Amino acid sequence: MELNDIATDKTGEWLRGTGRESDIVISTRIRLARNIVPYPFLSRATPSQKEEIEAVIHRKIKEANISSDLLYINLSELSAIDRLFLVERHLISREHAGGDGNRGVAIGKSETISLMVNEEDHLRIQAIRSGFELKDTWRIIDEIDSALEKKLNYAYSPRFGYLTACPTNVGTGMRASVMLHLPALGMTRHIEKVFNAVAKLGLVVRGLYGEGTQVSGDLYQISNQFTLGKSETEILEIIEGVIPRITSYERMARKALLSENRDQLEDRIWRSYGMLKVARMISSEEIMHLLSQVRMGVNLGLINDIEMKTLNELFILTLPGHLQKLEGKELDPVQRNIIRASIIRKRLG
Amino acid sequence: MKCESCKKRHATVHLTELTGNEKRERHLCEECAHNVTSHFTKMPSPTDILTSLINQVAPEIGEMSKNICPVCGISYLEFRSHGYLGCPMDYTIFQKGIVPLLERMHGNSQHVGKVPPHAGKDVVKKNEIMQLRKELDKAVKKEEYEKAAEIRDRIYELSGNADGT
Repeated sequence: MELNDIATDKTGEWLRGTGRESDIVISTRIRLARNIVPYPFLSRATPSQKEEIEAVIHRKIKEANISSDLLYINLSELSAIDRLFLVERHLISREHAGGDGNRGVAIGKSETISLMVNEEDHLRIQAIRSGFELKDTWRIIDEIDSALEKKLNYAYSPRFGYLTACPTNVGTGMRASVMLHLPALGMTRHIEKVFNAVAKLGLVVRGLYGEGTQVSGDLYQISNQFTLGKSETEILEIIEGVIPRITSYERMARKALLSENRDQLEDRIWRSYGMLKVARMISSEEIMHLLSQVRMGVNLGLINDIEMKTLNELFILTLPGHLQKLEGKELDPVQRNIIRASIIRKRLG
Repeated sequence: MKCESCKKRHATVHLTELTGNEKRERHLCEECAHNVTSHFTKMPSPTDILTSLINQVAPEIGEMSKNICPVCGISYLEFRSHGYLGCPMDYTIFQKGIVPLLERMHGNSQHVGKVPPHAGKDVVKKNEIMQLRKELDKAVKKEEYEKAAEIRDRIYELSGNADGT
């Protein structure tokens, strides 16, 4: 399997629109940060140490037999478009794409797992599933981590846990995040209340692509802030407890909108659907907004002739990296807007 | 205008003194003004302000700033200025500074989660006991006494083993 086997017209398992609460929860993702002994963290590692770290981890990933279909990609050999493509699919982070020196990523065929080598830490393991599936995602990533733990000598201290380059990740090294689609809470301006409540529980809200990214398409990621002093299970239990409250809040807001402003809501949703079907140019910002409206329309049973999977995928397939990868060349924003609109028209028939 | 103090030199410094509601203007030469104002508190320099700020927010920095990790060569100040540690040893070398930092960041500085097998059986056991104690507290709070008894027995069992071997 090569990078080009990752289809540009399809996405990984996590966008399938299946799993618990998948009307509102797009995906569940967990990542673990690990470093190996006896190397310095990456900010202090020499190029030759980086090379060594990458070689060791790459070899051990192979030996650990995590999955027979793992594809290892050397990031320093990839073009900027290919790296952006991987970021958009959530297979590598922005920092990993923009980094320098020897670094790579091992990706499972269904794109459920990815192992980033020489990101901020020596190794970042990630598992991502469709829907609200914390336990299942934890089981997957815990197994991979334990398999690797037999082969690699992780930097660990009984006092501080897994030692990481940045103290914000030390301890469990775990960040669990749930991606939610909350258009009605946004529309009714109740989203702030959610943020405040969530912050009190030690959770943070971020945009689609993690830290520092803007919220678009009413997509929010909720994740744990603390990684030390609570076990993995305890952290997951907190998130497990809070997400159903947010999803039911969103459903309530949708119901309220339907009963109080049905005509306006229907008009908004159908206009968005119409726009997607006929527009000749759509910007990346506009598409997120339109898709968000239509997705809610499908959830509310107003629109019946489009699958959730198709909509989820369109959020990703119409991003700049994907469009350029599909066309096999660099495109300016205007060209991208034209191609974006044409892909959408084709998909929505 | 002549200086009102020495009445010789030209007055170049004009001070306004406030005592209660009373306002009094004074016109002095530089020399006499220096004698008058030297008893005022000296304006702190930007460095002084910064140092006192740092001491308020993170008192360990001043004390730790000269510490350097012999393994990776990073100084504590370097770490605090860009947020990244240089090597796993830094957690031990800078422990004095890092513990309060972690307390502020995570509300805690003791790991209780997963333990890699190479860390040794004792660590695994210690961690499990810590975890069980937390669960015991939870069970007691929820008045689930049967569950609590079970957890208590498990703790006895584990700590018995820890002592016995």
